[in-house]
Amino acid sequence: METFLCAGVALLVVALILFFYLLNTARKKVTPSTNIASKKDLLPVYLSLADKPESIIQGMEKLKANVQKTETAGDKWRWVPLIIFFGGVGLILIDLVFDVLGYFSLIFTAGGIALWIAAIVMARSLRKSDSQDFPPRYNGTKKILHTLRDDLRPGSTFLGHLDLTGSLLPTKVARTAKDSQDRTTEYFRDEWLALKAKLYDGNILRISAIQKSKKRKSYWKRSRISGKMKMKPEKYKGSEQDLKVRIVVNPELYKIESSSPTFKQGLNVGKFTISQLSTDGGIINFVANSPFEEVEHENILSILQSAYALLKRKAAT
Amino acid sequence: MSRKIIPFVVAFVLICLVMAVSGLFAFSGVVTAEKFGSDMVWSQPYSTAESMNVINVMGDDQDELFIQNTTNVSVYDGSGATLFSQDYQYPKTTLGDINADGMEDIVVFYLGDLGYSVDTIVNGEKSTLTESLNIGLPARVAIIRFPPGDQIVLGDSSGNLLSLSLDGQPLWSYSVGSEEIRGMDDARIGGAIHLAAASHSGALAVLDSEGKAIWTTSQEQLRRMRAFDLNGDGNSEVITGGEYGALYIYSAADGNTIFNSSLGQAVSEVREVELNGDPSSREIVVGGKDGGVWAFSNTGNQLWSGSLSDKVTEISGIDINGDGKEEAVIGAESGEVAIFSGTGSRNNLKTHSTPITRIDVGKLGNERYVIIADGNEVQVHKASFSSIPGFQYTPIIVGVIVSAVILVIAAILTSIPKKPELKASFQDKSKESLEAERRMLKESIADVERLRKSGEVTGDAYLARLKRLRRDLADNEAAFKAAGFPIKVETIQCPNCGGTLELGMDKCEYCGQVLLS
Repeated sequence: METFLCAGVALLVVALILFFYLLNTARKKVTPSTNIASKKDLLPVYLSLADKPESIIQGMEKLKANVQKTETAGDKWRWVPLIIFFGGVGLILIDLVFDVLGYFSLIFTAGGIALWIAAIVMARSLRKSDSQDFPPRYNGTKKILHTLRDDLRPGSTFLGHLDLTGSLLPTKVARTAKDSQDRTTEYFRDEWLALKAKLYDGNILRISAIQKSKKRKSYWKRSRISGKMKMKPEKYKGSEQDLKVRIVVNPELYKIESSSPTFKQGLNVGKFTISQLSTDGGIINFVANSPFEEVEHENILSILQSAYALLKRKAAT
Repeated sequence: MSRKIIPFVVAFVLICLVMAVSGLFAFSGVVTAEKFGSDMVWSQPYSTAESMNVINVMGDDQDELFIQNTTNVSVYDGSGATLFSQDYQYPKTTLGDINADGMEDIVVFYLGDLGYSVDTIVNGEKSTLTESLNIGLPARVAIIRFPPGDQIVLGDSSGNLLSLSLDGQPLWSYSVGSEEIRGMDDARIGGAIHLAAASHSGALAVLDSEGKAIWTTSQEQLRRMRAFDLNGDGNSEVITGGEYGALYIYSAADGNTIFNSSLGQAVSEVREVELNGDPSSREIVVGGKDGGVWAFSNTGNQLWSGSLSDKVTEISGIDINGDGKEEAVIGAESGEVAIFSGTGSRNNLKTHSTPITRIDVGKLGNERYVIIADGNEVQVHKASFSSIPGFQYTPIIVGVIVSAVILVIAAILTSIPKKPELKASFQDKSKESLEAERRMLKESIADVERLRKSGEVTGDAYLARLKRLRRDLADNEAAFKAAGFPIKVETIQCPNCGGTLELGMDKCEYCGQVLLS
């Protein structure tokens, strides 16, 4: 009797754990998981760009729609594992009824447990169809491309990449440094957007958006009070954005002004501050920094627009 | 294989597996819904019965309930009325026909006023057969039908045997060890009946009608010894259960060991039970001091095992459901009474508040009853059996339900589209576009080199970025070739790591492989 009671209690505990697991799967996730920088985990996307703007924009929209379609298809069946779980409970209850009537049977319980296993397998498979949100930069880049599409030379393409796989990947460690306490700090360089375009006015535009981040690696430290060795976790130390722009100016159409009151070194444009500016050799080179972790597409577009203040259209001959 | 097909293939395999297991359970007959029960018909106060039997001892045409404990011998009729009752000191009893009238009589070996004595009770009439016997405290008594003639054999608590003729004359004596006689049974050798006797010391002997040993042996201290002709070959098997768990089956003919096993706990009871319904062989059920229950075939193969919560005190074979196979009804010191079927499945009857001492089955009046004696009383029960018809096919139903669910899950998983690739390439295939892309990639490679030289990017990050750009360059070359445009190839693949390298490099930058191209 005690054996059956123990088995019954164990089955009840398993059923409760399984119920809450399946309930958790059935509900749509409200709180997304976060990474070390306390940012929510986003969909890691990498796009190689070498096409006309319309094709790229359409491709980006299609990719988003496909991800959404997979997620919606999964959402439709979200509650099915829980229903199968209750089907298993029903089968086990049949055995319970037999036992109450004085007959001993485990065959329905075995079936019920088989259904529970099936429910777990289905729940796990449905979870695979879940997707994280698209990064805001994905939409931002799309808007940049959309804005620049009419400025592109007819028949030419955008070239470059959009790398939204994450700024703290091991492959993006640019260098490491050690401090006096032998702690290692990693410096990340994530060139998340590289774009080259031949413009309608004959200029060639190159944009490079780089996120520079810093992270101190975990290390062991001896406690001054207890003398025990304790592991300190890795720590995110912040990041900043760099925007490198190069405009090869069409000399037939434009003359470059050496300076402009609306575009000069040290000037703040949106979230950016122009830190370097050069107009040598008929090329405008500038670097703009932003202490913010995120810069919106409006900031990038407005600094590009401001850069055109350096150009003075030559009079038609 | 298409991802639309794989879930169905997996589902098909699983369904086959589920249905095969279901079929195995359904058609092997192991799945049954059977219920054993009992309703008490009458009871009488009678404490701690040592011997109990449903048998005709009153000379009428009805069976009575004979029962004996440490102070009394009684006989009850089918309705529980007392037909005979006599108090004794230290009585031990056996049943047998001592007056050749074809009816069973009671033989009582006890301590009387004139020493150790033997009484006979014939049709309810008590008479003293003999007194002042030269033997110790009664331990066992048996009527053995030796070929030359029946003998009453007495066993005492010091291992002594004394044989009497049916008129009470001592015939022979023998000593089996120095401790209490724990088993005395008739054992056949070539069809002729002999006496098998064993004492607690572990000594075991098979004797002929003159008290001469055919063979003797000794083993660990004994709790039980019984002799049965398990395979009906005319030679009995002598079964012993030891104080430390040894179970032996000896051949009564020569004392050879047929089988032995260690059960891990003292053997408290051994009985033969016709578990499989095959009349050519009998099975044995063994109970342990810690509640273990084992069933063995006549050759010693273990058929099943089970357990009760306390010492097994009694085992009885009763065909409750009338299928020709006996169920083992087992009582325990805890008061539990359990019925084990031929396959070892267990059903419980009502638990008693005192230890079960004896269980027997027999016809009292017109009905067959199960009689259970515990520490306080003897109860006569009507045993019942019920089963759900067709229950053996429920595994098929369960299998079909599980298979249907598996199929539904496969269908649902198939309906979910594949998650799109999150690394995408939007590429225009025109020559101008491919050339522009090529230029851009080369500029980017130059940028990375510049960053490395300036120290802004070092180590793995430099190599990872370079690797990706070179791979894109190789893809660009492939796109040129695919479109049929002429292209000067500038990349090669490392044969070791597969990374893309610039043509002319003699060592892979990613894995260090030396290149001989």
